[in-house]
Amino acid sequence: MDKLLLGRYIQGDSLVHRLDPRVKMILCFYFVLIIFLCNNWQSYLLLGIVTLLSVLLSKIDLSYFVKGVMPLIWLILFTVLLQVFFTRGGPTYWQFGPFTLSQFGLVNGFYVFCRFVLIIFMSTLLTVTTTPLAIADATESLMQPLKKLKVPVHEIALMLSIALRFVPTLMDETTKIMNAQRSRGVDFSEGSLISRIKAVIPLLIPLFVSALTRAEDLATAMEARGYRGGEGRSKYRVQVWHLQDTLALVFFFLVTLALIFLRN
Amino acid sequence: MAIQLEKLSYTYQAATPLAQQALKDVSFTIKDQSFTAIVGHTGSGKSTLLQHLNGLLKPTSGRLTVNGQVITPATKNKELAKLRQEVGFVFQFPEAQLFEETVLKDIAFAPKNFGATEQEAEKIAREKAQLVNLDESVLERSPFELSGGQMRRVAIAGILAMSPKVLVLDEPTAGLDPSGRAEMMALFKRLHEKEKLTIILVTHQMNDVANFADQVLVMESGRLLADKTPAELFSDPGWLKKHHLNLPQTTAFAQRLVERGMEFAQLPLTEHELAKVLATKIKEAEGENG
Repeated sequence: MDKLLLGRYIQGDSLVHRLDPRVKMILCFYFVLIIFLCNNWQSYLLLGIVTLLSVLLSKIDLSYFVKGVMPLIWLILFTVLLQVFFTRGGPTYWQFGPFTLSQFGLVNGFYVFCRFVLIIFMSTLLTVTTTPLAIADATESLMQPLKKLKVPVHEIALMLSIALRFVPTLMDETTKIMNAQRSRGVDFSEGSLISRIKAVIPLLIPLFVSALTRAEDLATAMEARGYRGGEGRSKYRVQVWHLQDTLALVFFFLVTLALIFLRN
Repeated sequence: MAIQLEKLSYTYQAATPLAQQALKDVSFTIKDQSFTAIVGHTGSGKSTLLQHLNGLLKPTSGRLTVNGQVITPATKNKELAKLRQEVGFVFQFPEAQLFEETVLKDIAFAPKNFGATEQEAEKIAREKAQLVNLDESVLERSPFELSGGQMRRVAIAGILAMSPKVLVLDEPTAGLDPSGRAEMMALFKRLHEKEKLTIILVTHQMNDVANFADQVLVMESGRLLADKTPAELFSDPGWLKKHHLNLPQTTAFAQRLVERGMEFAQLPLTEHELAKVLATKIKEAEGENG
């Protein structure tokens, strides 16, 4: 697993890093909503500038974000092409059967592309500047109102943070077992589809064995220390709301107003 | 089966914000049929180094020659497969690699991957099980029912089944009890002497270094700090202390005798050597007194 794990937390001390994870999560979702308000180049330009500004504030290299787009590039291109070839309206440049190349299509294709890229940039910004545990804590905190509906909020958050906590551990374990089996002559990257599926068995069985052992150990350790659910439990990492968090919300509110003004 | 490294460097996740250089200009030679120990602290680059030896990693720069086969950054992944068969790699806690229904099938897994037929592979598996002292009765059992020490021997037999010429061992005695450890080291000694395997052992146990190795490589922060014989390495307790490395028990004992005024021509490495020196000293002393 030498490959770059996309969206992995990168330590830093920037304004974006210091923002409350709850604010970052809310704003990330909010951004996805308001991007649908955009319908002309001025509004996309505005959100583009907002995104770039946020990225600059995080002090993380822009190339990292561009790489984040790459795994999804085929999905994006496919969607863009659908837009380009199946949207009618405006002057038509080319037509073949159901396919048309019109001005509206080209413009729409470009907008869809911008929308994808901006959303990916923003969500990468969230995961790159926030530790997984902070995200899990923020989720728990934001889901509190659901407690009234008898949703087991604490348990869900616990499952989430345990799952996130063990991602790197299991990745390491996978690398190790893959290496061990490669040393025994398994080829994971070549051969027919069937031989490749067969090659996964020597990887999956040891991985399951170790994951189950780990789960059992963890459960024992938690019980030994008297763990029993969320009731009356205080937190080690307390999330504190600062002025900068309010300012971030206000900023995005102003952006929304500007968007409504810019769109036609 | 000589192994030669020339200015080998390796960087994890090169050209990303997470880039991390794990090996810097490492050069050394390991002779055919030698027993080499690699020591160093966690994060010193030992594991990265080992993974180059059987082609799991390719150097970022520099080159590696194993038995005439040259590995450079430009080597294609396909060519590395041959290396994997010649250099058997026993990982830390190798029992994690077991997955088959029976012990026998698990040991026969590697030969089958390298093109042996079912019967041939089973024959090899039986031989290797015997080589690591596994009882005939466990061969048809599930590897997951065995004790920790037995599982480890199954895993090692699974590597030996490829008939490698070099055996790379990454802390093979970690997590075993003292008798299991002694048995394991005796096994490697036997493989080294009887089966003529070149052995490369990563360990924190200086006793094992003193007792078994004829060459020691010391790693620190991705660099090769020393390439010496155990006798040379352990003759300088000050240097070891500076780099937070221990002396073998025997040598440490002798060192304390030196501090109390006893003289040694050379600090002894093994119990046997120490006993011999002490015996002569006692005899001399008796001769003087009597």
